[in-house]
Amino acid sequence: MFKFSVHHPLILGLVLVAFCAAFYKAANHSTSASFRPSAFTPQATDNIPGMHTHFASTRQHIHVHAASLVELGDGRIRAFWFAGSREGAEDVEIMSAVFDPSKNTWDSEQSVANRSGTEHSLFRYVRKLGNPVALRGTDGKLWLFYVTVSLGGWAGSSITAITSTDEGTTWSLPRRLITSPFLNISTLVKGTPFLYEDGTIGLPVYHEFIGKFGELLRISNAGEIIDKQRLSVGKTTLQPIVLIKDPQHALVLMRYSGASPKRVVATSTEDGGQHWEFPYKTALANPDAAISGVTLSDGRILVALNNTEQGRDVLSLVISADGGTTWQTVYQFEDQHDASVEPQSYVKTASDLAKITDTSIIDTAGYGESAKQNKCGGQHCSFEFSYPYLIRTQAGDFHLVYTWNRSFIKHIRFSRAWLDQQIKNDNSKLH
Amino acid sequence: MTGLVGVASATAAMVFMLVPGITRLHKSYGAILLGTLVASMLIPYNGMPLAAYVRSATGDLSITTLVLLWFAMMNSLLNSGMSKTGERRTILFAIAFAALALYPMALGASSFDPYRLGYGNLVFVFALLLVSLAAWLRGLHLLALCIAMSVLAWAIGWYESNNIWDYLLDPFVSIYALLAIMFYAAKSILRRKQVIELKVVTQEASGS
Repeated sequence: MFKFSVHHPLILGLVLVAFCAAFYKAANHSTSASFRPSAFTPQATDNIPGMHTHFASTRQHIHVHAASLVELGDGRIRAFWFAGSREGAEDVEIMSAVFDPSKNTWDSEQSVANRSGTEHSLFRYVRKLGNPVALRGTDGKLWLFYVTVSLGGWAGSSITAITSTDEGTTWSLPRRLITSPFLNISTLVKGTPFLYEDGTIGLPVYHEFIGKFGELLRISNAGEIIDKQRLSVGKTTLQPIVLIKDPQHALVLMRYSGASPKRVVATSTEDGGQHWEFPYKTALANPDAAISGVTLSDGRILVALNNTEQGRDVLSLVISADGGTTWQTVYQFEDQHDASVEPQSYVKTASDLAKITDTSIIDTAGYGESAKQNKCGGQHCSFEFSYPYLIRTQAGDFHLVYTWNRSFIKHIRFSRAWLDQQIKNDNSKLH
Repeated sequence: MTGLVGVASATAAMVFMLVPGITRLHKSYGAILLGTLVASMLIPYNGMPLAAYVRSATGDLSITTLVLLWFAMMNSLLNSGMSKTGERRTILFAIAFAALALYPMALGASSFDPYRLGYGNLVFVFALLLVSLAAWLRGLHLLALCIAMSVLAWAIGWYESNNIWDYLLDPFVSIYALLAIMFYAAKSILRRKQVIELKVVTQEASGS
């Protein structure tokens, strides 16, 4: 009778072959971890004080959220956000549009990923899509990382990646990133990806299942995860952003979801990210909402956030010249803290705000009604200016996008000269 | 695609073992049924194979799970009697130990994340080599086979994951091992209790 058995020498041979292959792979594992600080080539326009506001999205009566930006090779800016009938709905798609700084205009928005296309390419059921963030690699390849959920709520998220070699006109088939040993659930993106000196990608992510903590993924140019680091522990920190000062020094700021006092949490490294100090609360108030920031060439840190303990109806720009110890408010982009929340006056205020944002808008009432649809329940309405995403382009100007009342993606462009002018403003508040 | 095949073959192996009477089929019929089960899991329904829906919830199954499932299925199909109780228990203990060392900390119980070691840490790979050799020397060949197959699959990039842990373990084999150990422990306590009771009864009987 045939005996199914595992033969001893064969298994020893298999062990040796397997480990030869494993040691070969492990030996080729890249260990370099220095950061690549962003380089700027200031242009003449950088010296002209100016701030311009637009809407990157144009569709009315739809729910939009979580915008991000990436600079293309020719200096144009591509934005991504998710849009659908409501957050978490099956019809949510990842949308994209391009801003041309020379014309100061946005082109029309296009869908770059949807639920059905993602699930058929991943060979996995996908229930909903979420936050997208993008990066342009050293080889010019555009990477888009976005959240996908198969089971449950956002705590069941995984990250999906697509790439483009033509600046976002066409995209590759989706690829699932495996980031967690427990059914690969609960890894989400929000913070701006960055580059290491060797060209590998740094992707700030966060975990939301049982605990809430920040993590950092390092991804090879082939899209494989080659390292994962923990930035915090516990149940209260999420959505890290990495602010790189030089190849060895970086500050990480995280959204805090714990008890009062509600403050942004920070950690930092002095050895290129090999070690991170124990997280601590900064002086920055924040109502458990997303933040974004950039490091200036002189080392100062610029952050956009809801700088209050409650509500997302105030959006501020703050700066720190001492590595995040003290902060100065530079400008308040939005402030509707004391605004009426009764639906009729809400629509009027929202319509007026839309007109101020872009004077070329004809149907301002449509903007007001869209905001009402997303932000009014019964006789109560609220303003929301949230999920900022700030970048600085190679030319030196700044671009900020954020969720405008869950209805539109607002874009603000400002120059270094405008920033310097605001910093000198006597009204600036020190924290 | 490799992940889909893994899920399809594991599902087929489980059906094979759980449905009464299948293992008593003639070998050739058993093989045909097995092939049909795997194929039916991979045929698209509504644009996606059934295995894809299972995989949405399970993720890619570890190589250890696949090796153990296929080994158990082949054992019952061919009546080889290959699985020794002692080896089986050692494997379950090894899986349970690894699972307890990995999952709580990987899910945030500490600032140290053992999952990070799985991205090609040389010390971790060397430790796995030592465990494999020790298992082989002690005659725990199935354990050595599970580790070697997992490490080889990681080295050649069999799945989407680039982390050895995902090839070594998954929550399903971990939960199975933990439950099986608890079952063994309960059974052992119960048996010991019965022996003590029997001794007392015997002593009382001899005393009277």
